[in-house]
Parts: sequence; C-alpha cells; structure tokens
Amino acid sequence: MMTIVNYGMGNLGSVQNMFKRIGVGTEITGDINKIEKARKLLLPGVGAFGAAMQRIEESGLRNILDKKALVEKIPVLGICLGMQLLTRSSEEASLPGLGWIPAQTLKFSFPGNSALKVPHMGWNNVHPLKTSKLTASFNDETRFYFVHSYYVKADNEEDVLTTTHYGIDFDSIIQHENIYGAQFHPEKSHKFGMRLLENFARI
Amino acid sequence: MPDSLVIEQNTDSTYQTSDGKRICSRCIYDESVPSITFDHNGICNYCHMIDSLIEEYQTGKPGGENRILEIVERIKKDGKGKAYDCVVGVSGGTDSSYMLFWAIKNNLRPLAVHYDNTWNTAIATENIRKILTHLKVDLYTHVVNNKEMDDIYRSFFLAGVPEIDSPTDLALAEIMYRAADKYGIKYVLEGHSFVAEGITPLGKNYFDGRYIASIHKRFGKVRMKTFPNMPFWTFIKWIALKRIKKIRPYWYMKYSKENAKKFLAEECGWQYYKGHHLENRMTAFNHSYYFPVKFHIDYRNNTLSAAVRAGEISRERALDEYHNNIPYLEPELLEYFKKRLEFTEEEFKNIMNQPPKYWTDYPTYKKTFEILRPFFYIMMKASLVPKSFYLKYCFPVK
Amino acid sequence: MLKTRIIPCLQLINESLVKTVKFNKYGYIGDYINTVRIFNELEVDELCFLDIRASRERRTPNIEILHQIADECFMPLSYGGGINTFESAKQILSIGFEKVILNTAAAKNHELVTKISEHFGAQAIVVSIDVKKNMRGYQVYINDGTEKLHIDVLDWAKQAEQLGAGEILLTSMDRDGTWSGFDVEITRTVAASVGIPVIANGGAGSIEHIAEVVKNGMASAVALGSMLVYQKKGMGVLVNFPDKEKLEQILEK
Repeated sequence: MMTIVNYGMGNLGSVQNMFKRIGVGTEITGDINKIEKARKLLLPGVGAFGAAMQRIEESGLRNILDKKALVEKIPVLGICLGMQLLTRSSEEASLPGLGWIPAQTLKFSFPGNSALKVPHMGWNNVHPLKTSKLTASFNDETRFYFVHSYYVKADNEEDVLTTTHYGIDFDSIIQHENIYGAQFHPEKSHKFGMRLLENFARI
Repeated sequence: MPDSLVIEQNTDSTYQTSDGKRICSRCIYDESVPSITFDHNGICNYCHMIDSLIEEYQTGKPGGENRILEIVERIKKDGKGKAYDCVVGVSGGTDSSYMLFWAIKNNLRPLAVHYDNTWNTAIATENIRKILTHLKVDLYTHVVNNKEMDDIYRSFFLAGVPEIDSPTDLALAEIMYRAADKYGIKYVLEGHSFVAEGITPLGKNYFDGRYIASIHKRFGKVRMKTFPNMPFWTFIKWIALKRIKKIRPYWYMKYSKENAKKFLAEECGWQYYKGHHLENRMTAFNHSYYFPVKFHIDYRNNTLSAAVRAGEISRERALDEYHNNIPYLEPELLEYFKKRLEFTEEEFKNIMNQPPKYWTDYPTYKKTFEILRPFFYIMMKASLVPKSFYLKYCFPVK
Repeated sequence: MLKTRIIPCLQLINESLVKTVKFNKYGYIGDYINTVRIFNELEVDELCFLDIRASRERRTPNIEILHQIADECFMPLSYGGGINTFESAKQILSIGFEKVILNTAAAKNHELVTKISEHFGAQAIVVSIDVKKNMRGYQVYINDGTEKLHIDVLDWAKQAEQLGAGEILLTSMDRDGTWSGFDVEITRTVAASVGIPVIANGGAGSIEHIAEVVKNGMASAVALGSMLVYQKKGMGVLVNFPDKEKLEQILEK
C-alpha cells in the first residue's frame, strides 16, 4: 500500500493511475491519521517551491511527515518538485525545504545565446552512477520525462544515484538512507516510469 | 452456456450431453445446433455439407490446387495495366493476414482493405501495420464516425438480436467493393475457410442491408452518414453491373490456421490474441459474452469441430475443451462496452435479461432473395456471389 | 542530451478524431480512446489534442472526454481548443494534462496568457499560431483559420513570449495535411526571434522532413498529424509511429 501525500499541489490522479496499472494499491491523503499509519510515502509536487512549502506548513502535516521520514525512516520518494522539497533550500524561494537530504536546489542558468532553453522540458536519459534498489535494471538508455527550471545538487556524491545531462550534469535521482528523490515525472514516462515505481514499491 | 458434462453412452461409442442431446459421431455439433440431422452412422448433415464442399472444390487436393492457380492467372491477366489486381480484406486476424502472404507469393498485386469500426485493439492495428510494411502492400480503409457506429451497435443491443457484429461484416463487404471499384479491380479475395471454420448453422443468424437499416430506424438516434451500408440495389450494382467476383482461395487449397499463426509470427512478429476474433473489442464482446449469455450459443464448436474433422485434435479433447472450459473474457471488456455505448449497469442487465429476438422479427430482404433465386444461381455460377451465400440467402429456412 | 520531441497531434471535432487538410476538409480517423490506447502501446513520448473547431463554434472543452484521455495516458499531454478562461485552463491542468494550448483566446485576451503562466509556470502554456502565406509574407489567423489577426507573426510570437508563453506551436495552414514538408522558412524565422521552444506543425510526410525542420528550421520539437494516422499519402487510416531507431539516426547526423 502506497500513501501519496496530498498537500494541495501536484497531479495525484496520474500517479495513482500508474500505480494502479502496475497493480499497486494507493491512497491519496492529507489526513494526519492516515499518514501516521503509512508504510511508504510518495511526495508529489508541481509548481513553485515556496508555495509548496507554505502549503505543507499550513496543512499541519509537517510534524508527522518529519517523524515518518526521519524517525521511523520509512521509504519516501519525492518526485519532481517533491524531490526539490527534500533539500534544505532552493534558489526559487526564501522558505527552507524539508531538509531530509543534504542537498540544495539551484536554478538552471545558461548564457543568453545558448541553444538550451529553460525549463528543461522533454525526455532525457539518466546515467546510473551506482546500483540501488530504486534504479534496478536501469542503464544509460533509461529515460524519463523532465519538466523543471531548477535542479538539485546533493552535497555528497554517494547520495547521487543517477545524473542527467542538460548543459551540465545534474542529479536526477538521489538517495539518502530511506529518502529518495526523482526529478522527472515517472507517471508521464510510460514503461520507464512504471519500472521506477515498481522498484520503489518493492523496497 | 453449455454447462453439461459429456458421458459415453453405448459400446458403439455414441455420445450425448448430460442433458440428453445427441452429439455427432464425427464432429462435436450436438442437437442444440439448429437444423441438425444425423444419418444412420450418427454423422451430422454439417459434416456431410463440408464433405460435399471439399468434393466439389477439391480442397487441398491437386484438383483444387490447380483450379486456384488458374484463377490466379486470370486475376493477373485481368489486372494488367491497373495499380492492383485484387482486393484482400484485412482485419489483423490470422486468415486475412496469411491471405496477403499467399497473394504476394503467387505474384498477385493486392490492395489491402480494412473497415475500421473504431473498436480495434492495438494488437490488430499493429499486426496490420507489420504485415503491410513487411510485404509492401498498400492499404485502403474506411473509418466510420465513431458516434454513428456506437449508435448502430446500441440499436442492435436494444433490438435484442444476436447479429450485433453484422454491421461490421456488411460494411467490410461494401468497402471491399468500393475499393475494388475505385481502382477498377474485378476480384475480391476472402479468407473464409469452411475447413478451418466450419459452416455457420443456418437459421438463427442472418443479416442484410435492410435488416441493419430497419433496426437502426427503430432504435437509433444518430443519422447514418458515414456507415457504409449495402442496400439491395447497391448489392446488385456490384455483382451484376460492375461484376466484381468473390474468390475464396482457402476453399481450394490446403490451409491450417495453426500453421498460419506460426508462420506469421516468425515472418514478421505478428501477434496472436487469446482466442478467436479478439482483434476487435466488439467481436470479443460478442463471442465471449453476448452469444453465450443471452443466446446460449458458443461458436467455439465451429472451429473445434473443424479441427476435429481436419484431424488436428481428437474429438474427446474438443468435447472436453468445449464443455468444460468457457470462452475467454477480457476483464475490462464489459466496462468498456457499457461505458462506450452509454448503458448503466442496470440498463445493461435488463437488456441482457430480455428474451432474445431474431431476424424474423424485423424487416429484411430475405423474401426478395428467395424470389430471385434463379438470378442468384446464375451469379453463383459466375463466382459473383459465393455458394454459401446462395445456399443461405436464397432458400427458405426450415 | 535532450532528444527532439516528436509529438502526435490529434484533431478532435466534437467527439470524433479527424485529420484536416489545409484546415479545410477532413477525414475520419476513429475513436479517440482507441487511438490513445494504440499510441500508449507504441510508447510515444507525448500527445497533443486539438479540438479545432471549438472556438469557432463557441464551445468549451469537453472535460468528460479529456478525463478519459488523461486516465488512459502515461505520457505528457497537452490540449487546445476553446480554452478561454482561467478556470477552464486550471481544470484541464488538474485532470492530468501538462499543458494547455491557446490560440484564439491568447490573441483576444493577453492577460489570460500571463495569468496562466504566472500561476502554473510558463511550461504549462503553449501559444498556438496559425499562419498562411500570402504575397506580402505570412498572415496570422485565428478561429480555426477563419479570422485574420492584424499583427505580424514575429511580433505576435515575441509578444506571446513576453506575456509568459512557455512554447509556441507554429502551424502552417498551407502545409497542413499535404505531406509536402514543413514550412522551414517561417519556422526558422520565428524560432530565431524568440527564446522559447518552437514546435513545428503542418506538412510532415517523412522522417526526412522532420530532420530538415529540426536542423534548418531550428524547431525544438515537431508535431505530426497525417503521417501518424494514415498508412501513406492517399492511402488508408492506420495509426502508426515512425521507427524510433531510424528517427534517432537521422536526427543525430
């Protein structure tokens, strides 16, 4: 059973649909009691860092989420903006992030005449740096759908599971103990997304 | 849905179903098949019909093989100077897909024709694409407006008759004629095989253009604009005026569905479905649910009997498969059907439970076909209508 | 490196899937859900749906259909057709679509573009520009090609970018449904004058056309219509997608 955290931002329906397609039951909830009982958490997110952190604070879920992630250490996967929220801060906003992974979120910035446009939008490959349960069976041909203007940089290289190249090599999948982050949209990455979510469900 | 276990009766090895219906001693048709009779050896009239067709067409024998090669030569000759010399109807299924290979192997230049009733599965579309790309054959399609098609299906469902898939069959026939006419082609190749599929029992199933029109008039709401119906005079135009012939190569040559499937898979990665006709969701609904549940018909006895007659499986195994297993029903098929045709769960159940109706309850051209029997006899002799059409349409049903 | 996006662009009229030629006559392609399922199986990277007559017929998006489509797809989706209020855009983005495409509404209501962009991010809004060649250059049209917009195409593209559009969908009305290749010239002109991605649309007939508009037309992405729903020019309906290996090869050169 997968618990998808509903704090008011993010396309929860699509994520739930994909889990359903691979045969994993999910509940979408913003209820403290349900989150309390969760065994695995998925933290979605679409939109702006500042607005999202504010929503989380306002939802009253901050304490229970911290507890599940840092004390009980259940597996947590943050996707898209959800991955950025796991970091301690973002150049996008003044509010701090959840700080569950030692990392920060930075803005893509290319010289004015660059052919690279921001946001980074489209399919791109991930390059595994090490093996892990989340990235089981991934190789350099594995690809996902990205849409983001900011990227994550983990403090420690051993927390980086895969990198992706877009002007620079940024961290596309990270892991720190029980906390995982994926920058792309698995629910929009058909068979590749399904593979990632299947792997996460098995952890 | 035949629920009966089979028991052996006498030392002479005759069988009957547990509710006392006699079974043919050669194939597995039993007394529930309409218009069935048994001879003194217990062999049914359908077996005899197939035997006499095999005799007449010399199916799989040198006589038949030669005959079809002669026909092939005539097709090539008549097709000289034209873009294509024959039309082959394709559905993504085994018979029609293999027919394309056969046509190319014999140096014919076919135009593939597909009628898209908008209920195709992705497998079917992909199979069609793979074969056409592999063989470099051009495709002609007619796609009906999905809303119109759904309205016609709705009408048939509401009418309570079994022939819910017949609009597709008639539409394909009409489309093949139109495609042939567009390119000046005089031959339509059909993948029907009485050896591989048996003969559909006479009586219960029937359709023609008037049947479809009258049911739609009574129960339909969307005007028929893109649906290619075949009214009587259009039919006459195709056969008597345009003189487009129908050829069924499998009536002459050796054909095994099993071998065809293997061949197709090896040649171009073609995929098979979990049962007969499941390349299209409406056909799947029909065979896996509608027929068995509402009309207590299970058409698997056709192909199973054919397999027994051809010596491909034993009669015991066929009986076992038929009576002890039910047709495969894809899990979300019913939901798809109800959702797409806009029936609530309750409406759907009610209609399924209503007593069945038959073609005799609605206006058709049947009487006209019977009156014109001599004319259609001539058409049959000239290969302008198949013999099975002549037998089925031009004689009164007992 | 980032792959060029190849986007099937499906046209809806009422509830049927169609394909137009030069924005005029059209042929039936089939049922939209069925077609979506097939593209799902073909694992295309993105899908775009346009209800091309919506503005002209003063219809708003059919949310029921969009819901069904979104439930069926596991790739990025964009939708355009009759979106002329913020609420409407918001609703579509919340049911599983990544982007909304505005054409007529963008031209008539600049604030709407900005509002959607500010609220959902620039990447969520695409401004669609339809152009037709005339003696003086290119004429911009709205309302499914029936009404002229009196602004130069480059000025409008730049303005759209300033208003907050994340992408431009540039459609050549002349080339639509003709299989004769994209209008590389206008694509390049527009792409060179804006900093946001330009999606070339209208006229694709072969993989070579795709390569041409990407390399010479500076297109960041390519929309395909007829090529993906017909077996070949003038032949029957058959939903398909070009061989991915061939695409990669020709785009990499």
